[in-house]
Amino acid sequence: MFITRCFRKRAGPAALLGATLLAGTSGWGAVQAAGSDVQQKPVQGGTLTYLEQQAHTNLYPPAGGFYPNGGILNQITDKLTYQNPQTLEIEPWIAESWTVNADATEYTFKIRKGVTFSDGTPLDAAAVAKNYDTFGRGNKDLKLPVSEVINNYDRSEVIDSQTVKFIFKKPSPGFLQGTSVIGSGLVSLKTLALPYEALGDATKIIGSGPFVVASETLGRELTLKVRADYNWGPAKLEHQGRAYLDEIKYIVTPEDSVRIGALVAGQSDVIRQIQAYDEKQVEDEGYLIYAPSTRGVNNSVVFRPDNPLVADVRVRRALLHATNADEIVSTLFSDNYPKATSVIAKTALGYVNLSPKLSYDIEKAKTLLDEAGWKLGANGRRQKDGQTLELSAYESLPQPQNKETLQLVAQQWEKIGVKLNVLTADSGSAVVNNLDPAKAPVSPAMVGRADPDVIKSQYYPTNRNVLLQKGGNSDKVQSFVDERLNALLDQLASEPDRTKRLAVAGEVQNYVVDQAYAIPIFEEPQAFAAAPYVKGVSFEAVGRPSFYNTWLAPRR
Amino acid sequence: MSRYVIGRIGQAALVLWAAFTVSFILLQALPGDAILIKFLNFELGLGPEQIADIRASYGADSPLLVQYVHTVISFLTGNYGYSIHAGVPVGDLILANLPQTLWLATLGFLLSLVLAITLAALSALSPFSWLRSLIQSIPALFISTPVFWLGILLIQVFSFQLKLIPIINPGPWQALILPVLTLAVPISAPLAQILMRNIDHVLTEPFVAVARAKGASHRWVLWKHVAKNAVLPTLTIAGILFGELLAGAVVTEAVFGLNGLGGLTQRSVNDQDIAVLQAIVVFSAAAFVLINLTVDLLYPVFDPRLRVKQGAVA
Repeated sequence: MFITRCFRKRAGPAALLGATLLAGTSGWGAVQAAGSDVQQKPVQGGTLTYLEQQAHTNLYPPAGGFYPNGGILNQITDKLTYQNPQTLEIEPWIAESWTVNADATEYTFKIRKGVTFSDGTPLDAAAVAKNYDTFGRGNKDLKLPVSEVINNYDRSEVIDSQTVKFIFKKPSPGFLQGTSVIGSGLVSLKTLALPYEALGDATKIIGSGPFVVASETLGRELTLKVRADYNWGPAKLEHQGRAYLDEIKYIVTPEDSVRIGALVAGQSDVIRQIQAYDEKQVEDEGYLIYAPSTRGVNNSVVFRPDNPLVADVRVRRALLHATNADEIVSTLFSDNYPKATSVIAKTALGYVNLSPKLSYDIEKAKTLLDEAGWKLGANGRRQKDGQTLELSAYESLPQPQNKETLQLVAQQWEKIGVKLNVLTADSGSAVVNNLDPAKAPVSPAMVGRADPDVIKSQYYPTNRNVLLQKGGNSDKVQSFVDERLNALLDQLASEPDRTKRLAVAGEVQNYVVDQAYAIPIFEEPQAFAAAPYVKGVSFEAVGRPSFYNTWLAPRR
Repeated sequence: MSRYVIGRIGQAALVLWAAFTVSFILLQALPGDAILIKFLNFELGLGPEQIADIRASYGADSPLLVQYVHTVISFLTGNYGYSIHAGVPVGDLILANLPQTLWLATLGFLLSLVLAITLAALSALSPFSWLRSLIQSIPALFISTPVFWLGILLIQVFSFQLKLIPIINPGPWQALILPVLTLAVPISAPLAQILMRNIDHVLTEPFVAVARAKGASHRWVLWKHVAKNAVLPTLTIAGILFGELLAGAVVTEAVFGLNGLGGLTQRSVNDQDIAVLQAIVVFSAAAFVLINLTVDLLYPVFDPRLRVKQGAVA
């Protein structure tokens, strides 16, 4: 009640401006529209206060996928290449240029001269080689794990002080994009010499980025200071030289209402994580919502066909057609959460539109279940051989309103006589039970990355293995393996020809939907809110903020 | 006296050991573990062999007894291990979070004492019985106020509406005002209730009647005779309330985004960060034991009868 009243009082011309800027656009588009007033000359200086929902965890760069980590690493580390968030093209950054051999097993990078880490050591070919040897192979003595984005890595060769070559055991076409992601941030050899357990201390992470960690209170606060001598931003960016801001203060504020209230009360400038239902009150006050797409595998519900209840493709298809994604998006979310039209987002590389195959058709769903032998019983539930079609799924805490989403799916499935139990558990039980197809035949899933490799990350048995195939991370699986899917995924990760690779990506999407392994629901954004005087907020390709270009206009 | 103290210290050590062992067994019995949660969840897509490697490197797959002995020895030598989730030594985490919680708990406790005594005094001094019963029903209201709700309400009113106290980037003292108030309200309730009941009880004792007969005023009787006698059971409760303080700190710290042991406990439970939890359990048990020991040793100070008894035994 207090929030609403407080907002009404202060709504004024600023609200109108915000509404105009945001009208009809969503996500990244909104950011571009807001660019119209970037005509003003950027102001140098000032402190940006950024409210984060969760404390960062281990800052070993390949662990940067966790958003609180990525939000910090993106400011303090540079990458070999820069993925243009609009075109998704790979552009020069720390690497001035590169060559790739025909079968994508050898990559040679020419490193920009004069780049240094904030401890003064040079970022040269040797440093890059050491970084990738660590990310690509891990380091058992230091307990450093292998990076998810580097496939088939063999070794590096330092050719001269500015040239480094990477050699792969098998074709690795996703590697070039992999050099641009948050998990491939380059760090000083001093950082790489530390054991994994020591990397949760942000002050130990020494990068070459536009900001440097100045101090931190564990679990609470982190201060970044600008690096005045920074002069090696992505080559094609208009802004070069040091960042505009002097300082960024990250403050962990877990409570949603406190983050939003503090933003609107002028106590902070940017906040991460705002739920769809809170967007309106923030926009009404003239504040901006940024909802960059995560451009990866859509927020979906996946099946574990090892469980006999969902082993029949007809049952899975029936549930796919019984799921009304439109209703979920319009009931629980906002325009920033577009309805899914394929396994991956529209803005993802290799996307094909599969809307016709994802139609909501309850009659078709009923027919499919009848054909599969699941008849409506006296209690209104589908039954077969004395068994009831009753499924369970564990909610996933990091996904937005996941419990509500699953509960709405459960209501929709109820209409064709299928029961879905939505379960909540402590993280330990949830992780363990979610690995057991008998206990979790259905599961929510999503992952962000702007390369088709992301589909492999999601489904391949030795990666995330969301379908729970045999030979992966679960020892509870009896027999389920889909050789055809895995062969396609292998091909996706190793096809060196770009056109052919994107064709394979399309084939995989079709296959996953034809088999109804997944029910895509919506394209998941990362939602941020910022005060109107915060200009030039940008995001890397999967929605982590970059404050290199950010400046603070005088507050009105 | 010294034998009494040594006995109490021995008891305390036993309690600590028991807390350590029981929490060790319980934490090991939980499904899943920190490594599984951290590495399987959303960050690194690792294969089963890599996770097995990580587990081996943390010694998480050695037999329970070996792990137990190993943990006991490390604790005795002051090595609390590493937080798997946060990636820093547990000692550092505790040190970073302890001062804030100590301040919060100490000030919260003091304020709750002030609140309780004020309420009790007001009720004892109130001239009308309706006012008295009104005041006496306040503790019931206080204890049934949800801490998170009170915290958010205070933030909304004092920080966002009246803009008196910033909640983001406050000064060190500003940062404590609202959380201390939030924490003190529910803690003060049982204290106030017991104090009020004791005062009422002591007022009916014969020696009070004697004092009155000698011509003492109501106020003088309260201050000189009743207060001293009513404070003793309150002290016992105060020692027990320490546990409440820690529990209250979990919610308060989450709402106000403070770093502290409460917030750390909550995060570590979520992530099953066993090394951190083990250290927190032992630390809290130590604090609990210490406070109750202090309370026991304070009894003779407040009650001369106990002093005489102690002397007779020793």
